[in-house]
Amino acid sequence: MNRAEWSRFMTMYRILIRSSFRSRMQYTFNFWVGTAAAAMINAVEFALLAVVLHRFGTIQGWSIAESGYLYAVITLSKAMYRSFASDVHHLEKYLVSGDLDGLLLRPAPVLLILMTQNFSPRFGETLLGASMLAISLGAIFEDDPAIWTAIPLTVLAIASGAVLMFGIGLLTASSGFWLTRIDALQVLTEDAARTAAQYPLTIYPGWLQGLLTGLIPVAFINYMPALYIIRGTHGAWTLGLSVAVSGAMLLLSLKLWKFGLSRYQSTGS
Amino acid sequence: MIEAIGLTKEFRVPDPDASAKRRGLFSRRSIPKQAVSDISFTIPEGEFAGFIGPNGAGKSTTIKMLSGILHPTQGEVRLGGINPHRKRKEAARTLGVLFGQRTQLWWDLPLRDSYDILAAMYGLTPERKKDRIEELENLLRLSDFMDTPVRKLSLGQRMRGDLAAAMLHEPSILILDEPTIGLDAASKRDIRSLLRDINERMRTTILLTTHDMDDIEQLCGRVLVISKGKLDYDGGIAQLRARIGLPAVMEVTFRQAESAAAAAGELQSLGDSATEAAGGLHGPEPLSPAAAGIRLKSLEDRTLVLECDLKTSSSVQVLRELEKYGELEDIRMREPEFEDVVHKLY
Repeated sequence: MNRAEWSRFMTMYRILIRSSFRSRMQYTFNFWVGTAAAAMINAVEFALLAVVLHRFGTIQGWSIAESGYLYAVITLSKAMYRSFASDVHHLEKYLVSGDLDGLLLRPAPVLLILMTQNFSPRFGETLLGASMLAISLGAIFEDDPAIWTAIPLTVLAIASGAVLMFGIGLLTASSGFWLTRIDALQVLTEDAARTAAQYPLTIYPGWLQGLLTGLIPVAFINYMPALYIIRGTHGAWTLGLSVAVSGAMLLLSLKLWKFGLSRYQSTGS
Repeated sequence: MIEAIGLTKEFRVPDPDASAKRRGLFSRRSIPKQAVSDISFTIPEGEFAGFIGPNGAGKSTTIKMLSGILHPTQGEVRLGGINPHRKRKEAARTLGVLFGQRTQLWWDLPLRDSYDILAAMYGLTPERKKDRIEELENLLRLSDFMDTPVRKLSLGQRMRGDLAAAMLHEPSILILDEPTIGLDAASKRDIRSLLRDINERMRTTILLTTHDMDDIEQLCGRVLVISKGKLDYDGGIAQLRARIGLPAVMEVTFRQAESAAAAAGELQSLGDSATEAAGGLHGPEPLSPAAAGIRLKSLEDRTLVLECDLKTSSSVQVLRELEKYGELEDIRMREPEFEDVVHKLY
């Protein structure tokens, strides 16, 4: 792929996102209610965690602010992943209805077009995650100038986490080319794994920690980077390894996607 | 130019022989089933070809292989020399596809926006986009509803909009999957004359599928018939007619019920031995010239309903034949419908 082609794809991506957003804004009421609801659900979820933390003070040595940081990072990663690639998560819909046909007819990468469909900017989650991140970081680095290096590193961790979630999401979605129905699998690899990673990994038994690090590596979204960025118990390699895991997951998922696309069976008519 | 070379597509379907128990919760034993087997044809540049066949014959599967959506199990497709399964993006530029049953326009946005988006996908320059939209707007008369959201368009308008979308990037090949489906008679005529225009003026190669035989008769110089996954016929319409024959339906009323019964009895026994003669594509030659192509459909009181092949025996001959059994009182003829004729093929 040459540079001219890439710039065309980026223009296309921008126009598709804009059109997708405008389509969505035809139903303004629905959009804002959805945004508010998403923010509220996340707020309630975190409030529950806060109550527990408040009662016990710490979770396995993680303070309330540190837990808040883990929660904020994964919330922002998810918001980023879902904003920029919303329908990767909904590939099943395209496989069942045969709607993928239309995307395959265009002289552009199918994945790129898929990513722009039903663009849903996660304003609610982004706002909530960003405020939680600000509060947590503020509390952790009270009177400590380390916060100024923590901020860019956290941004890197969030971006890397978004790529990792995208990779996991795409890998799961691609299995749909063989399995067609994948919603149950998605609950496992995306929802359950992410929910688990909202808490410090140390609260889980060893086998589950291993699973969340080795098999569905959600630990690399927030826990591993946090060990370096805010805890300082481990070296910078935890962050570096996280970025590497994200990259590897991305490559693997793109491979499976490409292979799956050649096995696409479409629908009856 | 569209080339299909030995196209075969196998799907895996659940094994019907596996016992219900073994098919149960865990194992999904499957066996390969050929949806399309060994189809080859070439449609030269500028030709307008029709592709017909009953539901489930493999028509959609073939269309999807031709347009690069499905990968064939065996065989190869070339669109203007490019293999869409090796170079999908390159082939997509030479190809415009319309699915009559499914719009490719952006449902919630004004029609015009769809063209902006497509122009960006195909990388048209602003000038070329403007010219092209103007041209299509005139040709397909889109001006009245260019700024209407697609979801508010009538089916006929939407189809015209979809046609423009398929042609925006000036493809040299158009694949149209049921472009007249669901349209009223006037809209159908409209779409047909537009398609004829496009084919003649722009020398666009067109492959069209339809269930409406008028589309085929009025547009296509060539017909491909697919049945049970195999190419059954490939040639002109006139030859197709000749090959199937021209079955007409005749209602003949005798003066006496006994004569009717006698004639019916005779035809029945003849029919049993020569069923294939009238309709079958690969049937043997008619056994007796007199009974050729005459088949009994029903007998009601004094009236016989007959099907006869007007190619092998004229209606006068048929009547003369029938008069042997008794005096005739009334005759009614129904002209053969091309659609019915082709359905016989299936």
